[in-house]
Amino acid sequence: MNFFKITRIHTAGFLFAMMALLIILQLLRIQTNVNAQVLREEAQARYGYERRRIIPERGAIYDRWGHLLAGNQEVYEVGLALNQVSDPQTIAMVAASLLDLNQADAFALASTPYVRGQQEYIVLKDFVSAETIQQLEDLQDQYANAKTRKGEITPNLNGLHWTGHLQRTYPENTLASNVLGFYSFRDRINGTGYFGVEEKYNELLAGVPLDVVLPVDPKEITEIPTVAPGASLVLTIDREIQASVERILDEAVERNGAVSGTIIVLDPRNNEILAMATTPRLDPNKYWEYSQIFPGATPYNRAISQTYEPGSVLKVLTMGSALDAGVVTPDTTFLDTGAIEVGGITIHNWDGGAWGWQTMTGCMQHSLNVCLSWVATELGPTRFYDYLKAFGVGHRTNVDLAGEKIWPLSLPGDENWYQVNLATNSFGQGVAVTPLQMAVSISAVANDGNIMAPHVVKAIIQDGKQRDVRPMIIGNPISAQTAHTLTEMLAVSLEEESSNALVEGYRIAGKTGTAQIPSPQGYLDDVTNASFVGWGPVDDPQFLVYVWIERPASSPWGSVVAAPVFRDVVKELVVLLNIPPDSIRQQIR
Amino acid sequence: MSERWINAYRQAPWRTQLQWIGIFLLALIGVILTAGLYLNITAQAAAAGVEIQIMEDERETLQRQISDQRTRLAHLTSAAVMEKRALELGYERADVENAVYVVVPGYTGRQLAPLALPANSINQEQPLVLPAYRQSLWEWLFQATLRLQNNRPQRGLP
Repeated sequence: MNFFKITRIHTAGFLFAMMALLIILQLLRIQTNVNAQVLREEAQARYGYERRRIIPERGAIYDRWGHLLAGNQEVYEVGLALNQVSDPQTIAMVAASLLDLNQADAFALASTPYVRGQQEYIVLKDFVSAETIQQLEDLQDQYANAKTRKGEITPNLNGLHWTGHLQRTYPENTLASNVLGFYSFRDRINGTGYFGVEEKYNELLAGVPLDVVLPVDPKEITEIPTVAPGASLVLTIDREIQASVERILDEAVERNGAVSGTIIVLDPRNNEILAMATTPRLDPNKYWEYSQIFPGATPYNRAISQTYEPGSVLKVLTMGSALDAGVVTPDTTFLDTGAIEVGGITIHNWDGGAWGWQTMTGCMQHSLNVCLSWVATELGPTRFYDYLKAFGVGHRTNVDLAGEKIWPLSLPGDENWYQVNLATNSFGQGVAVTPLQMAVSISAVANDGNIMAPHVVKAIIQDGKQRDVRPMIIGNPISAQTAHTLTEMLAVSLEEESSNALVEGYRIAGKTGTAQIPSPQGYLDDVTNASFVGWGPVDDPQFLVYVWIERPASSPWGSVVAAPVFRDVVKELVVLLNIPPDSIRQQIR
Repeated sequence: MSERWINAYRQAPWRTQLQWIGIFLLALIGVILTAGLYLNITAQAAAAGVEIQIMEDERETLQRQISDQRTRLAHLTSAAVMEKRALELGYERADVENAVYVVVPGYTGRQLAPLALPANSINQEQPLVLPAYRQSLWEWLFQATLRLQNNRPQRGLP
């Protein structure tokens, strides 16, 4: 037998071997071909990895008791995978009925031709509620389960997809919206916080987004990194007090036919802002209505963003300065002749009358401009303005809210300062402050002469830890003794005049303010700003309330317009803060 | 003895062929076993990968749902809703004139709600994907061999 004899089996074996070799060669050629290399790289880049931006959940905002003021709710983006769409008519019909889209527009979108790499996916509607998605899901199931004959095309929602994501939401709607600000959630890529804490703490709330490249191939197992959510904030705001104050403010603005109103409630011991209400207010869930609610230059939060001449409430600072400097005592007498000339300008009282001999307490009780002008001149411009600066007038309070405005204080030597400013400034004209600035300055009188840093954020929760914001003294313009003396003077003042601000059972100190409004043509004759500042209980101040009613039509006087608003606030405040009447509190102390 | 074997093979060429076939089949079985093992591990890895992806999606969905539920609860207990419910139930707004104060020994006032999670409930970040799922077959074999060697009982010198 010849071993090398070529048989049919050898031929077949050779052929199969050649075929195998050719296959191997072809495999090698495909693997090493230049075009194949390019194709592979393209495929890898396109299908091999997915670039994903992981946006952390925006931090929540709570009131001081843990009530959620700003959170996130689940909504959906509904879109079309164009290569899967087979029944645009049904999709358009469903989109019109469930997604409130125009049927013709939806049909045009659903009929968009699929172009690979360019036109693959179209968003039909975003921010669709979970309830609507449930309806869509049910409908899709119905279509999918419908019995069909072979080859028959039945109505279907093929290609319709939805993806969940979070949307910023404010469960309390307009409540405290001037403090919260809003987040432009409609812009899912560049959304940011505007106004209030949403803007001030935007970066903290937003957290740090992470860009990751993830393999599509499940074989290449890669863990999606966990991104820590944004920090959550606990505010000093008390939801119940805020709601109560907003209700009282809205009623007051309407009752008095005022342009706007502002009420601030502080705890003077640490200057935590318990409530801050202004008008108008926006529902941050519909932030796109901003321009209708705040036309022109209307500030979002007047409490920090609108300066105004406060009028007689500033006399508290003037009298505090003079008492602290030892220029006057509560019993110092002054003969009020109804006029005083300062810098060549004659100053009159609010009623144009002469009030005769007055103690300093009487001057405050009757809010005498002439007397306070005299006090300021006795103090002298240097000391008077040093005290005003120490009280923080003309400076930012640096409250942790976005958009705080100031009006610089004109000082001796400045171009716009005249000798008469000493007098007018002493009773709160010719000087502009924000309501918060005024409240914070006066808080020194209610807190043993110390001004605490005003703040709305009580604690920050980050990485599972809660960091409390510690109260901080930012000024000490007057002594504790002066603060107590002035508080007593202002309590007596209210009691003596049977003020509308008094609350039965509680001893309150306070001061009204009625200010003329400047215009380019001089002070307006027919409109005023009515204010009231008060704090209590006098022996242990636990709250300070500042009221500003802008341009009331019912009466020009702060004592008539703002003082009753203060009383209404305090009547509810003492209940909400669990402050018993003085007689009971002093027994249980 | 070996002579006999050699002679036996010489006498029967089919035995030589059978030997070649045997070697070839052995190699083939080896290749098939290796490929099978590789395929099995790859399939397991892919299945685990898909499972991880599903679980991660699920986790994301659950996190969204938790956030959503918290917000829904806040909607249901908002100040306006609670006030409405209270009024419907016949409650009235507390009035300073009608408030009655009672001394409760030991009561220190309303306490702030701790919103941060207790320290022991915070999950420590741990890698979700075990290193075994990232290893190639060769790495796995190499490490298995290494483990085998390390586990061999050590004998001291006499």
